[in-house]
Amino acid sequence: MNQQIHDHTPAPDSNHAAPGYYEVMETAVRELLFERKLITPGEIRRQIEVLDSRTPALGAKVVARAWVDPEFKARLLANGRRACEEFGISFYDETDLIVLENTDEVHNLIVCTLCSCYPRPVLGLPPDWYKLKPYRARAVKEPRSLLAEFGTVIPEDVEVRVSDSTATVRYLVLPQRPASTENYSEEQLAALVTRDAMIGVVKAEIPETKEMPQ
Amino acid sequence: MTQTEHLIKHLPTELGGLDAGPLVRVEHDLEPWEKRCHALADVLDFHKIISTEEKRRGVSALGSEIVGSLTYYERWIVAFANILFQKGILTPEELAVKMDEVMARSGEETTSCTI
Repeated sequence: MNQQIHDHTPAPDSNHAAPGYYEVMETAVRELLFERKLITPGEIRRQIEVLDSRTPALGAKVVARAWVDPEFKARLLANGRRACEEFGISFYDETDLIVLENTDEVHNLIVCTLCSCYPRPVLGLPPDWYKLKPYRARAVKEPRSLLAEFGTVIPEDVEVRVSDSTATVRYLVLPQRPASTENYSEEQLAALVTRDAMIGVVKAEIPETKEMPQ
Repeated sequence: MTQTEHLIKHLPTELGGLDAGPLVRVEHDLEPWEKRCHALADVLDFHKIISTEEKRRGVSALGSEIVGSLTYYERWIVAFANILFQKGILTPEELAVKMDEVMARSGEETTSCTI
């Protein structure tokens, strides 16, 4: 099956010194592996579909369920991967998921200092800043000043706990449920949970413009 | 500190705890080839042709100059090529011939590339 999935809009961080060279290399490597029958075009297409199907909305649903269902939350904190799978989110890789609960005493932040490991099955692909030096270098050294650059000021009496991901162990932050959301439905709660809140760089909050539900 | 000490104290990808400037909150949607490269990485990991951990070490082994000059997925595909050479799955000559072929083809078709 031929599938045209190409356009040539340059990305902001493209290396303009050698346009197209690495793209050609990717095509060449992939086609050589097809010819060797080590991988198949169908596998690549299916994985692109899987990648497209993963967005922070999945993680937000998990968080909202944990907020309304204490038993689910307990299972989620005990074994993140198993609880997400029970929730219908498949893990396409061999990673474990550890869910870190924010409380009045502890604020969690996730990072990958070595590379860009990230809970992709539940959040999709990480933002560029998560993969770049300032975030990775500073998260483990000066997390409070880094968080302040996201507009998140953590009181001194709250511990900031930074978890460094690996190829096989990934983390997801369970943000605190915002106050005054007692009457929110699970779906309304999920809408409050952003990707950045599940990385731990911001809190889950009621947007200022959002009106309280009837 | 000598002029080169910083190059060997940390692997090129080992950034935790280093001094770094202010956060730059950049984001971009992946280009189609970047997404294909990501899918390729996942499929290579599924088959244990190149595991995620091998990929990370492969990127680190590119050295600080290459790591510092290439974009994220450019580093990945170069690391994959090197690892496939090391494993004897591909040879540099085969890749060069195939790249010429792809380049010539894309010259004719300008935008198409099929998977």
